[in-house]
Amino acid sequence: MVKVKLFGLFRLDTGLKEINAEASSVKELYPIILSEAKKAKPNTIITAADIDGCVVMINGKQGRKSSKLKDGDEVYLMSPVCGG
Amino acid sequence: METKYGGYMGKVLEVDLTTQAVSEYPWTDKDRELFIGGKTMADKILYDSFTGQEKPFSEENILVISTGPLTGTGAPSSGRYNIATLSPQTGIIGTSNCGGSFGYYLKKAGIDALVIKGKCAEHTWIEIDNGEFIFHNADEDGIWGLKVTEAQDKIRGILHEKWGFKRAFGQMVIGPAGENLVLYSAVISDERAAGRTGMGAVMGWKNLKGIAATGNHEFRIINPEKNTKWNQKWFKYLRNHPLTGNQLPRMGTAALVSQMQMRGILSTKNYTYGQYDEFDNVNGETLAEEYNIVNKGCLTCPIKCARTVNVEGREVKGPELETLGLLGGGILNNNMENILKWNNELDELGMDTISCASTIAYAMEANEEGLWDNGLKFGDTEGISQLFEDIAYRRGIGNEIADGSRKCAQKYGGLEFAIQSKGLELAAYEPRRAVGQGLGYAVSNRGGCHLNGGYLVILEGLGLYTDSQTPHAKADFTMLFQDLMEMISASGQCLFTSYAFFPGFLITKPNGVVTRIANAAIPFIGGVLRLINKCPTAVAMHLPVFHHTKAFIYAVGMKMNFGKYIRCGERGYTLERALDCRFGISSKDDTLPKRLTDVPQDPNDPKTKVPLDRMKVTYYKARGWDQNGVPTQKTLKKLKIIA
Repeated sequence: MVKVKLFGLFRLDTGLKEINAEASSVKELYPIILSEAKKAKPNTIITAADIDGCVVMINGKQGRKSSKLKDGDEVYLMSPVCGG
Repeated sequence: METKYGGYMGKVLEVDLTTQAVSEYPWTDKDRELFIGGKTMADKILYDSFTGQEKPFSEENILVISTGPLTGTGAPSSGRYNIATLSPQTGIIGTSNCGGSFGYYLKKAGIDALVIKGKCAEHTWIEIDNGEFIFHNADEDGIWGLKVTEAQDKIRGILHEKWGFKRAFGQMVIGPAGENLVLYSAVISDERAAGRTGMGAVMGWKNLKGIAATGNHEFRIINPEKNTKWNQKWFKYLRNHPLTGNQLPRMGTAALVSQMQMRGILSTKNYTYGQYDEFDNVNGETLAEEYNIVNKGCLTCPIKCARTVNVEGREVKGPELETLGLLGGGILNNNMENILKWNNELDELGMDTISCASTIAYAMEANEEGLWDNGLKFGDTEGISQLFEDIAYRRGIGNEIADGSRKCAQKYGGLEFAIQSKGLELAAYEPRRAVGQGLGYAVSNRGGCHLNGGYLVILEGLGLYTDSQTPHAKADFTMLFQDLMEMISASGQCLFTSYAFFPGFLITKPNGVVTRIANAAIPFIGGVLRLINKCPTAVAMHLPVFHHTKAFIYAVGMKMNFGKYIRCGERGYTLERALDCRFGISSKDDTLPKRLTDVPQDPNDPKTKVPLDRMKVTYYKARGWDQNGVPTQKTLKKLKIIA
């Protein structure tokens, strides 16, 4: 089981703050997130491309779509931001 | 003086508060070509006036309130004005830029800038009606002593009674903090703040509570048809850009908090750490989901980055990321409602949230270290509101915190954890994991400012994510970004218009091949940038992602391209440095507290600190300053600062 936390506009658009999921790679999280987002916000138009557009951090380190996951990992997905 | 250029009103006025005399300040088209407006114009006026012997709280100190040529031309996010003076907080040139509507209405009154000298004999507020000045007694009108909303409401009531409700005007006021000479007191226009470097304290010392301006002067545009079309295109570009059209309107600057946490650059416990475990309580997502009512913008702004929140039944301005960071993790406060309330209290008292929060964090640590028995503790938020009042009215320990972290540390010790540079407290970006930002904080003309420092963090984790620990190319990018933002500010525009400079796909596709190549390449293009910085006029072209230059041609009628634009910014930046040098600034002052240069953020990774000295050498060389950080005569001549 991995813990996935969502941030940025991606969180506002999916209506998801945090989910727990069984997945062995970031890629395997995609259908789970899309399905959960549909439940949380039925009118959401989030697609896999939106997840592709997220910065991925795994246990505080930069990750990628192909990164492997293991039990207990914490994954942060965040739409990129800048400007302050 | 009359001008051939559009955008300008052609009048700079000198106001002597001691005698209440108003006269024209000589400002020619040659000055306009070289020093544009806003901050750079103010620096030139101060450069021509100051010898280096002046004191901030003295009749010799001058306050310059200036606008830029694009204000009022319909260019996006152009409703700004600048205040500059000798700062009581830093002892060098202080500048602060503000949104709201005052800049626009000062120009409607027919005035590009005010050069304010002397000191009012009594507490005063000034009404400017189409170039006519009326000095009002602020005590008799019941305005002196009021907090900023009450003061603005009172002035509005007086002017409505006099002019009727149909006449629009802009105003700028100080709060109790400015009246009581808190060194980091702000000037407020509507809900927007010129917060940094203590501009409000200089107004307070001059017994000047505020200025309201109105008028019916028309703005002259050189090519109205092309200007309108160009602005429409520019507005559309900003609205379609992922940052200025989506992130900033929907989440404001608060969106950055979570990203800063992930990158390890969120100031925590007075910059002891770069991550705050409870950041999710005090970040932009929580603000957007639970508290934000609506987003707002300044005049002519399509970005609308300001938040509106409810505090005790009133709709007020919400916090920016600096306030969330420094009044959140910075003092170990995990309560968003505290921050919303504090942010409003600080605005109402007229105080800079950054310097105030950071000085409180210093005081908490000084207490923890046994250096200063002041009763303040990290995480103990019970008495913070009362402390703000004590600072603004200079009571008890508030009287000392009102002088900023540098002065407190000089008295009690702990200079290594007083998080300031040249007396100005740093923003919430922890630079040990964004070393280019660290260089910027250190060399910034007005002291530890993230924007005046070049905002390199945009490459180092917030936007792009190039190697944040390498010093390579950081000095060259710092110079380029500083010059770019200097000119945007001089034009009268918001710096946020520069963020659309980055093509949208670099932001929205952080994992894409092109973005990864760009991130990898950045540290290796220092040499190319050095050439551009050395001779920017060689880039004699307009860039498709940078609309600012053509706006100059259509609205102002001034010859402009990207290279000239950068050169103007460079002139402004070096001019301000030369002025600072008159007040004793040199390389010895371009520093950071030892916590950031000597103590790794991660004890197991010695690279996680700012390699400042190495970057400074490259930076001075790129700028044409000598090894002491003083602009050479050759550079001053090249930039036409001296003949």
